[in-house]
Amino acid sequence: MRVVVADDVMLTREGIVRLLAETDVEVVAEADDAASLVSRVRATRPDAAIVDIRMPPTHTDEGLTAAAAIREEHAEIGVLILSQYIEASYAMRLLEEHPGGVGYLLKERVFDVAVLVDALRRICDGETVVDPTIVSRLFARRRREDPLEELTSREREVLSLVAEGLSNKAIAARLFVSERTVEAHVKQIFLKLSLDANPESHRRVLAVLAYLRAAI
Amino acid sequence: MALALSGSRAWIIRTLLLGSALAYGLAAIVAVPRAGAPLTTYAGASSLAYAADLAAGLALLGAGLLASTEAGARRLGLLALAAGAAWFAPDWDGWDKGPALVRSIGALAIPLFLALLFHLVVSHPGGRLSSRFTRGAVIAAYLAAGLVGVGRALFRDPFLDPYCWRNCLDNSLLVDPQPGLARTLDGIWLGSALALGLLLAAICAGRLLAGSGSARRVLWPVLVPGALAGAAEAAYAVALIRTPLEDPDGAGFASIFIVRSFSVTLAALGVAWSVLRIRRTRAAVSRLAAEVGEAPQPGTLRAALASALGDPSLEVAYWLPDTGRFVDAEGGAVRPPAPGEGRAVTPIVREGLPVATVVHDAALLDGPGVQEEIGAAARLAVENERLQAEVLARLEDLRASRARIIETGDAERRRLERDLHDGAQQRLLALSYELRLARAGEEARGDAGLAREVASAAEEAEAALGELRELAHGIHPAILSEAGLAAALATLAEDAPLPVELGEPTPRRYPPPVETTAYVTVSEAIADAARRGASFVSVELAHEDATLAVTVRDDGAPRGAELVHLEDRLGAVGGSLEAGRTGLRAEIPCG
Repeated sequence: MRVVVADDVMLTREGIVRLLAETDVEVVAEADDAASLVSRVRATRPDAAIVDIRMPPTHTDEGLTAAAAIREEHAEIGVLILSQYIEASYAMRLLEEHPGGVGYLLKERVFDVAVLVDALRRICDGETVVDPTIVSRLFARRRREDPLEELTSREREVLSLVAEGLSNKAIAARLFVSERTVEAHVKQIFLKLSLDANPESHRRVLAVLAYLRAAI
Repeated sequence: MALALSGSRAWIIRTLLLGSALAYGLAAIVAVPRAGAPLTTYAGASSLAYAADLAAGLALLGAGLLASTEAGARRLGLLALAAGAAWFAPDWDGWDKGPALVRSIGALAIPLFLALLFHLVVSHPGGRLSSRFTRGAVIAAYLAAGLVGVGRALFRDPFLDPYCWRNCLDNSLLVDPQPGLARTLDGIWLGSALALGLLLAAICAGRLLAGSGSARRVLWPVLVPGALAGAAEAAYAVALIRTPLEDPDGAGFASIFIVRSFSVTLAALGVAWSVLRIRRTRAAVSRLAAEVGEAPQPGTLRAALASALGDPSLEVAYWLPDTGRFVDAEGGAVRPPAPGEGRAVTPIVREGLPVATVVHDAALLDGPGVQEEIGAAARLAVENERLQAEVLARLEDLRASRARIIETGDAERRRLERDLHDGAQQRLLALSYELRLARAGEEARGDAGLAREVASAAEEAEAALGELRELAHGIHPAILSEAGLAAALATLAEDAPLPVELGEPTPRRYPPPVETTAYVTVSEAIADAARRGASFVSVELAHEDATLAVTVRDDGAPRGAELVHLEDRLGAVGGSLEAGRTGLRAEIPCG
């Protein structure tokens, strides 16, 4: 797999590059701002781009804007956004703008190179990746009447993996159960939360996140 | 001492003036001949003419007396007295049983009336001549009247005048009878009278048309009769040019006399009215001092001065010597007052120091007039209001300075957060990557002990990273400046220790101080509700006119302490906080 890494801070960019050096992921280019990222992507045509959300010149959400620019030119290139902050708003915005092939992870998450490589693979397969911290925070949110209490603990486990962007197959592998069992769980969960049953995988991530954010 | 002396001298002069004017008026009443032959005056021609003659002269004398007692109208008063005296000059001339010298002086003074009337009307209301043109015209009028009056006195022998009718006998001042020269002087005078009459009418009409509404209200009582009087004088001159032998009994001359008397009477009443207006103004402005003292409502003085002086567009600017600028009554900065486009600027000085500047209609009053009308009592009021304006200006400065302090603090926090993000957090991240790599290396080399130690160091580093992130978020939530209030409040609600219900999100962005203040308000309200054991909090944002209203409700126990910090914060941006027993409502102005 070929990737481009974009981060304006050399130390962290180098850290990611060195982590990936131990794997079969090849870093074909590095960039330190959104503009050079877009031009490197155009030149090298990688499978995915790892992008820091905060980059020059305004240090706000350049990463998201760059992601939109890359996806518009090359819909097949996946984008993994890295952030030092866990902001559900950003994850939602990313998911709303791009159906599949995108991810949003906390920078610390990718210390574990296995997590990083797994996220890149899933993105390249057109899946969605949402940082588990975001999901667990949304689960932990205080609610007046918690609809999640109606779920069994296994169902909650499945729901959080759905929210992280995992496919039924991946969830089955993670929980050591059959894909069919996962499908049954998902159906039951959606019924209990009165969510639109059986949306396609990307849209179901969005639906679950929106549900978790809105439920009070 | 000097003051007392000058005061008593003024009193003596005033008494003398009053006495002589009264005596003169009485003399005129007694002396003016009643109907009977031979006809030597208009007053003798009919009782209507008699009444009109007396009314005009006495009105002028009365208006003059009234005006000469009023500080702002003394010049007008003297002019009116002189004009009243001159009005009776033809009657003295035609006093057939009177002393020759009185008749001769009367004849000499006849032309002076028109010059005095001209001067009186064009110098209304301030008693001063506003332009070089009117000054020149007045001087020319006096010169013509003086030259003709004195010339006729020296060279006209009434006995030799074929058109004489008032007085065909006496001229005590005669030096050398020259009938031809006398006729020429008569001709010169008639030409001058015609020109002066027309000019007077034109000046009056012009000033009435050019003046503003408020100026017109002050000017018309004198200028309208003034224009009529000018026209009547011109008609009189034309009649005499066409019919040199004046016949007070003839319909033409008689009616011209009635119109002249009538318009002069009206003009005199107009002068009296304007004197009374000045007096009323002074009384109103003096009352003002007490009112302003009792009810210190900013702007009272301006409104009161405007109505007292009859100029609704009047402005008052207060001078703040400390900061060297002008402010309005509310303390807001205003541009330094400057004269222009029919506006005049009058400084109000108290104890030698400028306290305020009044900008008013230039046609309405001249500068010294305003100064006099405002008077010493009102100057105290002006000073009071200036002090008040100064306090308000200081308050405004203070508010601006509070806002600046808050804004600087916010900017500093933003900078600190960014420094943490770009500095310490990045280094810790890099360190964590290194430790991960080192651990993987040790594991590969088979040094399980070292690998464990490195792993625990990595965990420490990641814990530090997590704490640092919380700290940075506490200093300033990056999401607020990056994605706006709605996103930041959503995050706040997710992290809250109790259920937080957010109303309709507001997608629009506000200036940073507004967003930060709203965020801080909600954040503090949630923390406060949690402290009071609330089980939920609801937050509503509403954009009303130019205000962002934040309403927070909760079901916690009643609040013990006030939210002083929040009040300060809102006050600094010009907002307000209404805190009930549980909920609160904050209003933040957002331009």
